Amino acid sequence: MEKRDKIIEIRWHGRGGQGAVTSAELLALAAIEEGKFAQAFPSFGPERRGAPVLVFNRVSDKTPIRARVSVINPDIVVILDPGLIYITDVTAGLKEGGVIVINTTKAVVDIKSEFNGSWKLAVVNATSIARDTIGVPIVNTTMLGALVKATDIIELESLAEPLKERFGARAKGNSDACHRAYKETEIAELSGVVKKPTKTFETETFPSWQELLPGSVIPEAGNAKQYRTGDWKSESPIWDHQKCIKCGICYLFCPEGCIGQNKDGYFEANPYYCKGCGICARECWTEAIKMVEEE
Amino acid sequence: MTTKRIGMEGSFAIAEAIKLARVEAIAAYPITPQTHIVERLAEFVANGELDAEYIPVESEHSAMSACLGTSAVGARTFTATASQGLELMHEVLYVASGLRLPIVMTVANRALSAPLSIWTDHSDAMAIRDCGWIQIFAENAQQAFDLVLCAFRIAEDLTVLLPTIVHIDGFYISHTIESVELLEQKVVDKFLPEYRHPYPLNPDKPVTMGAFGPPPIYTETKKAHEVALRDSKKVILKVWQEFGKLSGSHYAPVESYKTEDADVLLLCMGSFSETAMMSIDKMQAEGQKVGLIRLRLWRPFPTEELRQAVSKAQLLIVFDRALSLGGAPPVCSEIQAALYPLKTKPKIVSFVGSLGGREISIQGFEELINNGMNRAKRGKLDEFEIIGVRE
Amino acid sequence: MESLAIYVPRLVTIKEYFAPGHRACMGCGEALAVRLVCKALGRNIIIANATGCMEIVSSPLPSTSWEVPWIHTLFENTAAVASGIEAGIKILTRKGKYNNKTKVVAMAGDGGTADIGFQALSGALERGHDFIYICFDNEAYMNTGIQRSSSTPFGASTTTSPAGKVSIGQTTWKKDLPAIAVAHGIPYVATACHSYPFDLMNKINKAVEVNGPSYIHILSVCPTGWRLASDLTIRAGRLAVETGIFPIYEVEGDRYTLNLDFPKLRPIEDYFKLQGRFRHLSKETISQIQERVAAKYSKLKERAARNNYQQ
Repeated sequence: MEKRDKIIEIRWHGRGGQGAVTSAELLALAAIEEGKFAQAFPSFGPERRGAPVLVFNRVSDKTPIRARVSVINPDIVVILDPGLIYITDVTAGLKEGGVIVINTTKAVVDIKSEFNGSWKLAVVNATSIARDTIGVPIVNTTMLGALVKATDIIELESLAEPLKERFGARAKGNSDACHRAYKETEIAELSGVVKKPTKTFETETFPSWQELLPGSVIPEAGNAKQYRTGDWKSESPIWDHQKCIKCGICYLFCPEGCIGQNKDGYFEANPYYCKGCGICARECWTEAIKMVEEE
Repeated sequence: MTTKRIGMEGSFAIAEAIKLARVEAIAAYPITPQTHIVERLAEFVANGELDAEYIPVESEHSAMSACLGTSAVGARTFTATASQGLELMHEVLYVASGLRLPIVMTVANRALSAPLSIWTDHSDAMAIRDCGWIQIFAENAQQAFDLVLCAFRIAEDLTVLLPTIVHIDGFYISHTIESVELLEQKVVDKFLPEYRHPYPLNPDKPVTMGAFGPPPIYTETKKAHEVALRDSKKVILKVWQEFGKLSGSHYAPVESYKTEDADVLLLCMGSFSETAMMSIDKMQAEGQKVGLIRLRLWRPFPTEELRQAVSKAQLLIVFDRALSLGGAPPVCSEIQAALYPLKTKPKIVSFVGSLGGREISIQGFEELINNGMNRAKRGKLDEFEIIGVRE
Repeated sequence: MESLAIYVPRLVTIKEYFAPGHRACMGCGEALAVRLVCKALGRNIIIANATGCMEIVSSPLPSTSWEVPWIHTLFENTAAVASGIEAGIKILTRKGKYNNKTKVVAMAGDGGTADIGFQALSGALERGHDFIYICFDNEAYMNTGIQRSSSTPFGASTTTSPAGKVSIGQTTWKKDLPAIAVAHGIPYVATACHSYPFDLMNKINKAVEVNGPSYIHILSVCPTGWRLASDLTIRAGRLAVETGIFPIYEVEGDRYTLNLDFPKLRPIEDYFKLQGRFRHLSKETISQIQERVAAKYSKLKERAARNNYQQ
């Protein structure tokens, strides 16, 4: 990315607990270390570990940053979780010529059809790199390496100090992850017309003030059932009917209450709600349940 | 329609109103000078004169919290407090109004610590100015009785559903025996129908109350609250009019006393307004063109009525009984805000006094008015003065 | 140990009163505990919920996870709100304006119970309202980001009792809330954990039948705050019980029953090693804690045995 007196805006798409906030913070600290101006802040919401979250960065060479408002028209989007592209419009508002950095097991040729616009696409198998280097599939620092490769928004070396500050003894693994991602990130130019966003981030509709009942009472009991929490998961439980004795322990221990019996008496999780916590698989007596990675 | 005049302490008159209103739940904690009201109510309940649940809570915070519960299941609810007690309730007050629970409360106005003072002023009332309740000021025991009865009718109106405070001056109303005319039970029963919350907590129709407001909806909830509070004035006017026909006692959001030919108006709130009336009588008898207006309705703020009431005055002397430390006196700053947009408006002189129980005599009000006129003459309108301070 | 070799759906109601679609973290023990509690309570209840995780994850306007009447007002006043609801139902019933035999339930976290809501709780227990108070104890202020409470165990690292070069983390012992509830002389006090769901639900059923206040203290594992994998929630709860760290007992009047007793307690390391919050502890500190756990457990056991002897 050319160095201009311009504010570069970045939107991170991750899930609660994946460390997107940390990524954005490290990026801002590294940029400030380089003498730039930078900002990092999350969208502050009630969502918990596993839920989709947004985090924002602004970076500029010379211009102090004043905007305290979410990034609507990013120059760059970074996607920590490949599943997010199916549940949220990650490229919403992405500028012409903008950059998409995504964690995926797929190669550029296999994933580029998911994006329709004249953008630069950078792909990296961050989950695998993170497993190798850090030992856990937490990809936030790995994705920083990919971001730097795709955009040269900062120098890779500038991350060294902030990583050390943040991770102490674990800094080396994270730094290795960052460097490996820098090497392994594959980049391609996409073409196409930027389409209007089909989805917005606010998937819920909200009433007008006149529609609210006195005291904002909610008369529809349990209407949160409409809310899909199944988007949060990266793993799904799969039942092996050979081993299942239909005891229902999985049903009993499910924090979502989303496991039910099908007509044959076997249990299954409702994918609309299942967050993929893995309790059912862990507690199953007969080891009939396996957690399988979502794709 | 009213009973014969009887001698009664202001607190007891309020307790009589609560009994006549067939209040169903009372949660209260003792604090001077409010305590006589709830002691009397506890007696009524103990003697079976009032069929209500009396919850002797362990703090004012819990008093108002318990009131949220009783009101949310649909019981007619009352409490009373003062000063520090009101401040301890502070955050709960916002919940009561935000949830639109029509609790009625009397506040026996008292100063705030430190230093501790059990004596009257309006510091406590002003500290909860923005809590979203309807707030009404009474000037004597009769008004306290009347306005408390009316408060239930207003608060529980299905187009209002807002908690309501009737402010009474501590000691000067709460502990003063004077003559009161009560109403007969059957008259009150007709005036005040049973309370039915439209969405009570009940397993027959489960509702969620008190869900939190994320950014895309919080503003809408507050707009709805603001409009409800503003619009409650229509119901307040209607209820007071009806009550006037019933009892002969007439109330208005802004009440004027001998203002017809007055160039100079004094503005007060609370019981000391009655002392001020005597000063006005005396000064008018001496040929001075002075009059008195009192704010009866404090929230919703009666902007139109105020503008109307001062439309012919050249000077308005505002007497605050609380400070907004480091800022303008609270009542006066509201008055100034209400009048500022007008092309023709009176000059305003701002005084603060009668803090922490310090009295102001008939002569004291006369001096205050003269002092105000002098200030106006000298053009000294740029700052307020605390009167009667020992130098 | 509680036997789970049964066909669960025949033993519990299929009906969910805490609907899916709530925003609790994956693997949330508190959400599971609430779900089980609600199943046992059934429909004829009114819940007053304190501010905290369960309130936030279940009620973002305009949506709610609650299938039963539910009210949230503030953090520290839940027992007082429940008092009001109970009193309101009483008078309305007396006047023929309310026709359900409804049980009032107050729910709060450990911060809302042991710290900021302590006074309101004590007041409500002392006044003898007919209600159930349930503390969902995840041992810190999780909703605000894992700050210590007076219910945080000794040695746990939280964001306001962080383990550091000169600190072992929390340096105070967990406040014994069930004992404090017992001291109020109320008819029923019990501890429970979501890892023993039938014991938990039995206790809720018992509390529903009590006339007067009941206090139920439920250890609720928080994978986020305790720093453990989300699938280990049930296991961690079980280990808290099997190590004697969180004994499962009940007190009816002054009669103590240890509902789950173990001939030999597991070493507390088994429990600690699962969790990031205890990872920094030295052998010495662990044995200090072990001693205290053993002493407390045997005291409880003696107390329960005395009942049997008296019988």
